[in-house]
Amino acid sequence: MKIAKCKSQNKMLFKKERLTRETTIFPFCQFAICNLQFALLILPPSLRERRRYLLFEVLCEREIDKRELLKEIWDSLYSLYGDVGASESKVWLIEYHKREDTNSSSGGVGILRCAHDKVEEVRASLACIHSINDARIGIRVIKISGTIKGVTRLR
Amino acid sequence: MYYFSLLILFSVSHELFFICNLFFSLMLNYYDLNVHAYPETDAPVEELLSVAKRYGYAGIAITNHDEVVQEQPESNAVFYGVEIKANSVFDLKRKVKLHWGKVSLLAVHGGNDKINRAAVENPKVDVLAHPCGERGEVGLNHVLVRYAAKNSVAIDFNMDAIIHSRRGDRARTLGKMREHLKLVRKYNAPMILTSHAHSVYDLRAPREMIALAALFGMSKEEATSALCDIPAGILDKRWKKESEVEIIKNENSKVQKSK
Repeated sequence: MKIAKCKSQNKMLFKKERLTRETTIFPFCQFAICNLQFALLILPPSLRERRRYLLFEVLCEREIDKRELLKEIWDSLYSLYGDVGASESKVWLIEYHKREDTNSSSGGVGILRCAHDKVEEVRASLACIHSINDARIGIRVIKISGTIKGVTRLR
Repeated sequence: MYYFSLLILFSVSHELFFICNLFFSLMLNYYDLNVHAYPETDAPVEELLSVAKRYGYAGIAITNHDEVVQEQPESNAVFYGVEIKANSVFDLKRKVKLHWGKVSLLAVHGGNDKINRAAVENPKVDVLAHPCGERGEVGLNHVLVRYAAKNSVAIDFNMDAIIHSRRGDRARTLGKMREHLKLVRKYNAPMILTSHAHSVYDLRAPREMIALAALFGMSKEEATSALCDIPAGILDKRWKKESEVEIIKNENSKVQKSK
């Protein structure tokens, strides 16, 4: 254990040294690093939030807008879990496409992003949506994945 | 040669995946035992069934209030039951006598203390539907749940009450359901999850039902058994005594003979 600690400390020291050297010797380099950190906001992978993407299907009486749907999802989240729960779930509607069916009902397909440990909560709040502006609606989650690529892939 | 082997491997793995999926879907047969269809609402049975199949249900039971109209022949996917709506205990007894043995599922429209009590005490009844009423105004107590366990009357947790109400009403309903769940666990009474759907838009997929059941503290295993095993057992009359299903068996055999 002790050896491992020493090694990690050495690594840290080495990193620090390298950073200071870079920043001191090459002022241009420092500028570049600053730019990266503050302008582009690239988080290191270890600090990045873990997410889940839900592919969902909407069955509705009439065509609905993306904005209407998003408003209804947030309303449902607020009424079920309150402001704190809604903020923890970190819901974001990424895509929504309308689709016209051959029979009377129409609907759509969309992708929703949420925190990786709040999937069941978001699922429950999606299930609680029953109408949008007096048009009856039913939402079903088809697939869950950690990436958008995985969620849009067939099979 | 190498590419060829890779191709074969891919195809095999895809097939395996497909077979596994099929196997899982065969293993868990989800049932929704409280759906209201055409004569009462404007949703035809065909449409309801197609949506339910797409959502992953193995079958649905059509339970209209006090009437049985068979649009389609009864099969493994569509069961015709009845939900008895009674004004008094005497009325309930009369209607149970009228429908018993003629339908595959006999549910009672709960939501009244006296009706709840009479339904739970009657071993001919299969399901006590929405015992906590529309807004969670009435509930079951330990005596009723003990009777339900003894007579194997399934206690229904209707998700429609959670979906369609907001704020105060929903909080009250969830509280009542939590109480019921505690009692049901204690006395080991059968329980089912139903959508109580009046249209295709009210149906919810099984996984969504499980997530909704988690709102009042039901575990995933309990919810799965409340959607799969227990409804199947109710439709088979698995927990009823021999004397209670005698007439149904005889009728079935008669029908088969006449065919």
